Amino acid sequence: MSKPLLEIRNLAVEFGPLKRPLRVVHNVTLAVGVGESVGVVGESGSGKSITALSVLRLVPVPPARISGEIVFAGRDLLKLPLNQMPDIRGKEIGMIFQEPMSSLNPVMTIGDQIEEALLLHENWPATERRRRVIELLKLVGMPDPEGRLRAYPDQFSGGMRQRVVAAIAMACNPKLLIADEPTTALDVTIQAQVLELMLDIRRRFNSAILLISHDLGVVAEICERVVVMYAGHIMEDADTRSLFHNPRHPYTQGLLKSVPTLTETRHRLYQIQGTVPPPGTIRQGCPFRPRCPVAMDRCAVEMPPLLAHGPTHRAACWATAPEVGA
Amino acid sequence: MSVLIDVQGLGKTFADTSIRFGPKPKPVRAVDNVSFQVLKGETLAVVGESGCGKSTLGRLLLRLIEPSEGQVRLDGTDLTCLSKPALRQMRARMQMVFQDPFGSLSPRRTVAQIITEPMESFGLVRGRSQRRERVAELLAQVGLPAAYMDRRPRQFSGGQRQRIGIARAISVDPAFIVADEPVSALDVSVQAQIINLLQDLQEQKNFSFLFIAHDLAVVRHIAHRVAVMYLGRIVELGPKEQIYSAPQHPYTEALLSAAPHPDPDRPHARIVLQGDVPSPSNVPSGCAFHGRCPIAQAICAVERPPLVEVAPGQSAACHFARPHPLTGVAA
Repeated sequence: MSKPLLEIRNLAVEFGPLKRPLRVVHNVTLAVGVGESVGVVGESGSGKSITALSVLRLVPVPPARISGEIVFAGRDLLKLPLNQMPDIRGKEIGMIFQEPMSSLNPVMTIGDQIEEALLLHENWPATERRRRVIELLKLVGMPDPEGRLRAYPDQFSGGMRQRVVAAIAMACNPKLLIADEPTTALDVTIQAQVLELMLDIRRRFNSAILLISHDLGVVAEICERVVVMYAGHIMEDADTRSLFHNPRHPYTQGLLKSVPTLTETRHRLYQIQGTVPPPGTIRQGCPFRPRCPVAMDRCAVEMPPLLAHGPTHRAACWATAPEVGA
Repeated sequence: MSVLIDVQGLGKTFADTSIRFGPKPKPVRAVDNVSFQVLKGETLAVVGESGCGKSTLGRLLLRLIEPSEGQVRLDGTDLTCLSKPALRQMRARMQMVFQDPFGSLSPRRTVAQIITEPMESFGLVRGRSQRRERVAELLAQVGLPAAYMDRRPRQFSGGQRQRIGIARAISVDPAFIVADEPVSALDVSVQAQIINLLQDLQEQKNFSFLFIAHDLAVVRHIAHRVAVMYLGRIVELGPKEQIYSAPQHPYTEALLSAAPHPDPDRPHARIVLQGDVPSPSNVPSGCAFHGRCPIAQAICAVERPPLVEVAPGQSAACHFARPHPLTGVAA
């Protein structure tokens, strides 16, 4: 891979008192190449959203304490003065969040909201901006873009609102698009439209995508590489085919076996025992150990690092670790 | 198998009854002339997108909402014209499991109080020791330790709460359970536990199940028969194998092909429907789906297609119904 566009190194995020910190993200290291789409999957409390928000410096410090490096296009965003972040958010990194209604301003027309991004980041005359807003609405598949410029968010359905959010995110041709559960609030047929839109954006502008989702199906459709998170740790990091066909971490294996699919008929679903631990309850060893079918003594003491299973596949597990030297 | 629930011409129109100035919003036609049956011991799944009336349908069957027209018969008794006291006696035979495990359990009550409430309402338990014994038994059936009975809901995770809600529903040994999106609020790794639990309980107790869901993969796993709803109407109804391998209605086909699939090598044959689901207060003429349908003809805008049998046991409401074998989604 060429030099990555975004490189997160040893990111750790914790809250709470210094003496007894509540660590929600542990040593997360991941990279997104230019034009690459990477999915981060995990259940609630896995730290996937906090990781994405940290990239944008949208996690308030304090109360949070963040350490590590987030290098984007050669700069460490964590070291950047906070007042320079608005130049990056929306311009170099676009954002799409889960609930489109709460990320749009209800008392501002959608035309103005899209134009706002251009007003902040580009020094263009008004006519030029207007032209670009219409172009963006066409790009995201809004019917009758000229006519809908003056409409308010409540006049749109959920899928259409998410298109408006995507238009804002794409306004300045960002190099990276961060999408946090972009289709979770949408119906299946509308989800298909939004996923198609994201693939189209990628094809046309070569934007990199960091997609956060709990849905393995959505990630399989969009991403080239998948990072699996659990309780704040990266458990597995692999190219999509290898992850879905040959998962190496017992958590990923269990997850893939436990979701019903449209193609297989099984009488009983495989079930992972127990529930996701609340953050901070497991302070030592592998957080998946209490639910893991292949846990060993070592797992209680020491969190395994990401061990290589081939050139593009790494998993943090002692039990499935490849032989030394292999 | 004999018929447990028989629904004929069921419909519900919600009118705005609020007092305010200006023109009243149009009434919403949530469920429109729906007829079907649920057999004893069967799971019928109702799938559709938001606003298609699937939750309203579930509540109409239990008469939690008064229907505007039509009949619901439970073992031959028409629930829609029962008096209040008679209906109350019937309620012991039908129960509900709700979607939100946080909103459907009272935070002030203990687990034992929550689970015994239906039994006490129908006078099925007497005395403290019998009550606690029964709660312990029910908790064991849903896979929770008996020691949990004196705790309150906030001490439990979403999956555990859903188990408590299920224990409450099966406490009166109902013949019919409506489950409205019982797993959609749960984490992926916990969903499988609850799906397995529901299947095991149904095998043991042989109740009938109306399973309302939007996740087609979950439905395929749990249902015997599937009803697909669009804007208040059933557009296709049939055995699971047929619906998933050879859907006859273009909406079912689109729904199946749109579902994301956790397999990156599956051939992409996704049908992306244009536009949004129209508002149920303004249902299109003729076939409600004609505006988004890839194979619509002139007749579809004028004449509403009836739900007719297109294959043994399978019916579809489409003028141009024919099997649409899906590429990449084999049975």
